[in-house]
Amino acid sequence: MTLHTAIVKADEDKISSEKAKEFIISEKNGAETIFVGRVRNENSGKKVTAVTYDVHDQAVIKSFQTICNDAKIKFDKSSSIFLEHTKGYVPVGEISILIAVSSGHRDEAFKICRYILEEIKHKSPIWKKEHYTEGNEQWLPGHSLRPKEEIK
Amino acid sequence: MEVKLKLYGSSKMLSDKEILNIELPNNSNIETLRVALSKIISKKYLKNNLQNLSKTAAFFSETDEVVNDNYKLKNKELISIIPPIGGG
Repeated sequence: MTLHTAIVKADEDKISSEKAKEFIISEKNGAETIFVGRVRNENSGKKVTAVTYDVHDQAVIKSFQTICNDAKIKFDKSSSIFLEHTKGYVPVGEISILIAVSSGHRDEAFKICRYILEEIKHKSPIWKKEHYTEGNEQWLPGHSLRPKEEIK
Repeated sequence: MEVKLKLYGSSKMLSDKEILNIELPNNSNIETLRVALSKIISKKYLKNNLQNLSKTAAFFSETDEVVNDNYKLKNKELISIIPPIGGG
């Protein structure tokens, strides 16, 4: 098995980079890249305490699998990919997404990791609500999945 | 007829529940649903920055596929509203 995708409920489990490293290791693949996204403490001048991630579970898993399989076809069919995204309330400093890739060579490993991250931002139905030190909160704007020509 | 709108992201400001039931004329499609949603927002939720939601949202059928504005809705059908996304 060379592909693992999952949504991790923040109140039940944590995303583990050790688990990711174990999954992608392969004697065929000499290059590994790992991208870790964490909740940061500031956004647009506002002090952030946490982010709540809302996820359309089935559609997200479907999109993750499509994106990862596309990446394999595009860059390296022998690559191994581990992709997990969190769901729920995530305090500052904790992991929200982890992408780990092993590939035959470094260029493909970097490219696959970057490709997956950018595609997720444009295709996977995930939303962020930021929580601020003042006690207020806000859903962040995003990328519409409605075709542009339909938006009047 | 009635559709069950499953709420995600910013659309969760429209209700404390996960699903919002919306009454629509018989033989409605997604375009009709957008109009109904726009009316709901303009009555009660303008201050929540939801003005553009009815225009910018996509909608998923029960098979998790995007449906276009001509998609004919069935009575009691479960439709997911997909506000602009921004994960990762």
